[in-house]
Amino acid sequence: MSSLFFDNANAQSGRREALRLTIAIGAALAIGFCITLAVSDEPIRAYLALLTGALPEFEWSHAQGWQVHRIVRFGSVIEDAITLSFLGLAILIPFCARQFSLGADGQMFLSALAAAAVSLWIGGPWYLVLPAALLAALTIGFLWGLIPGLLKARFGANEIVTTLMLNLIAVQIYRLIITEVLRDPHAGMIATPTLPDSALIPILVERTNVSVMLFAVPFAAFAAWLFLMRTTWGYEIRVVGEAPDFARQTGMPVARAMILSMAIGGLFAALAGLHISNALLKRLPVDLTPGIGFDGLVVALLARNDPKNVPLTACLYAYLRVGAQAMERTADVSREVVLVIQAFIILFVVAEGLFAGWYCVSPAGIWQRWRRTGKDVLEARQ
Amino acid sequence: MTLTAIFIATLAASILRAATPIIFAALGGLVSDLAGAINVALEGLMLVAAFFAVIVSVYAGRWFPGLPPALLPWIGCIAGVMSAMLMSALLAFFHLEWRGEIIVCGIALNLLAAGLTVFLLVTIVGDKGSTASLNSPALPTLHIPGFSSMPALDTLLNGESRQGHHVLCYAALLAAFALATFLERTRYGTWIRAVGENREAALTAGIPVKRVQYVALLLSGLLAGLGGVYLSMGYLTLFQAEMTSGRGFLALAAVFLGARGAWGTFAAALLFGASTVLATQLGALHIPTQLVYMLPPLVTITALVIAGSRRKLR
Repeated sequence: MSSLFFDNANAQSGRREALRLTIAIGAALAIGFCITLAVSDEPIRAYLALLTGALPEFEWSHAQGWQVHRIVRFGSVIEDAITLSFLGLAILIPFCARQFSLGADGQMFLSALAAAAVSLWIGGPWYLVLPAALLAALTIGFLWGLIPGLLKARFGANEIVTTLMLNLIAVQIYRLIITEVLRDPHAGMIATPTLPDSALIPILVERTNVSVMLFAVPFAAFAAWLFLMRTTWGYEIRVVGEAPDFARQTGMPVARAMILSMAIGGLFAALAGLHISNALLKRLPVDLTPGIGFDGLVVALLARNDPKNVPLTACLYAYLRVGAQAMERTADVSREVVLVIQAFIILFVVAEGLFAGWYCVSPAGIWQRWRRTGKDVLEARQ
Repeated sequence: MTLTAIFIATLAASILRAATPIIFAALGGLVSDLAGAINVALEGLMLVAAFFAVIVSVYAGRWFPGLPPALLPWIGCIAGVMSAMLMSALLAFFHLEWRGEIIVCGIALNLLAAGLTVFLLVTIVGDKGSTASLNSPALPTLHIPGFSSMPALDTLLNGESRQGHHVLCYAALLAAFALATFLERTRYGTWIRAVGENREAALTAGIPVKRVQYVALLLSGLLAGLGGVYLSMGYLTLFQAEMTSGRGFLALAAVFLGARGAWGTFAAALLFGASTVLATQLGALHIPTQLVYMLPPLVTITALVIAGSRRKLR
């Protein structure tokens, strides 16, 4: 956080951050293991399923050569990782302006709806449908993200409350439109008709839904990085986040940075929505589960305000999630244990003082603390 | 005439019933916010309290068959409140000792509560939805006698069924009064407000800032815990997964809407209770349920906007 103006400190603090994150994840997994130990008859097997269940299996036999099993399961890791990367970016950008916007859920639901509706209405060849769907999703995501920003800038409405309330409203709008307008009367469930083939994003791996959206992830992360680090608007967002008083006193447009950060976040949530409707599900059911936005929160926190880390942390988290499903299927532990692990990962990652003792004994740590406040170190030594 | 009076009394009674958990949680949010350590985990604290109240009251009866049955819900109530206070102690510890951003920690605790309750529900009860199979007890209601000749007043004081209001409904009113007095009239209340107002000044004045914040967060855990216990041992008599359904966040909105005063927060919580009552009333009409469900969040946002524009004018 504090390395905005001191680039030379970056590499070192980066290494320290990596160490901290590893310890935090390890500690959270250890707590998860303790819980498993308490409730399960076969804790080791359950935990192995959690940690390795997401991996594909390779098998070699003389008759058939190399065979890959469980490719579907590994595919779902990648599918999840794509969605989570976009959602992580959607939460990370408001975070950079210190806005605790939790609206990614609502933005994603409405963008998915917009993308599906446009795909159904327009039809035609792919080079017409897909850009239109993308545009519709981005517009809706941007606008829905704009609302909490405006409410905060204009009326001082707390963004945690407004984004959560807007999520509730968005989910109801989504359900209303699917039940009343887009419902496919011939389907056995309440859902939209299946999207036309031309509107589907091309699939890369057979038997999975891993689509070319995979290639969009690094681009999106890079675009977010470019926006934050190399544009004036991005600079304003970071300064408002890290030194709000400084920003205000130097006359920066604080309100604009705040609003913009939330709206840009909405753009990335829109990509997640497009991915869900036009690549993963291919039709939108009315009972799409809300709450995935919180997984995006974990991804964003683990990435420590750096968009470049988002794809990696998204993969990590998707791996854990799919592993939890494997665990529920093969052992007697319910998958909700991963929510507990997730919560502890967040707690350990944000608790800056928790692992501070580990590196403050190293010379680099002492020098860092010395530079911040000399008094701190003296007190710590006494 | 009396019919209108009875209708209004019925409405007031049902608003109080719906608002009670929000009042408790909002008062809890208020204390923490005034102490400068806003507790975003109200939702999770309520959920945990609701869960442990039910589980402990049922299992206390199984493990100690000698206990009088009337005591069981109270044991559950204490256990629920304790669990919520334990969670808020965890929040306080992560924030005050390890400098974790309190809002993010609060969100994490909400996730922890949602995961842990469902996880334990599956493990203990074997059901992912609710504890309906456990047949858990409820806390008693308080009946005020002597008004049976005045139906409107009787409805207001004792509810539609004339059985009396839930004991925690009265406790919520009492808590609002007690908290307002505590914050305005006692030294510790002044300390809490001072710490939130200006931390450095409070430190310089010799106020034990960290301890005050611990107390405020624990108090908010106590209040939110009571709200949660009411949900599972009064409003309903079972625990359901996600049964708080956003009340903790409504409570948070009530704190902002109530201009950070005890009575303002109380009134805002009543407003949100009224909006949920209205939503259930509208549910009987031929309006799509989705529109009805949109009502409480819309009321919340509108209320925040109105409060914000009033603040601007002043």
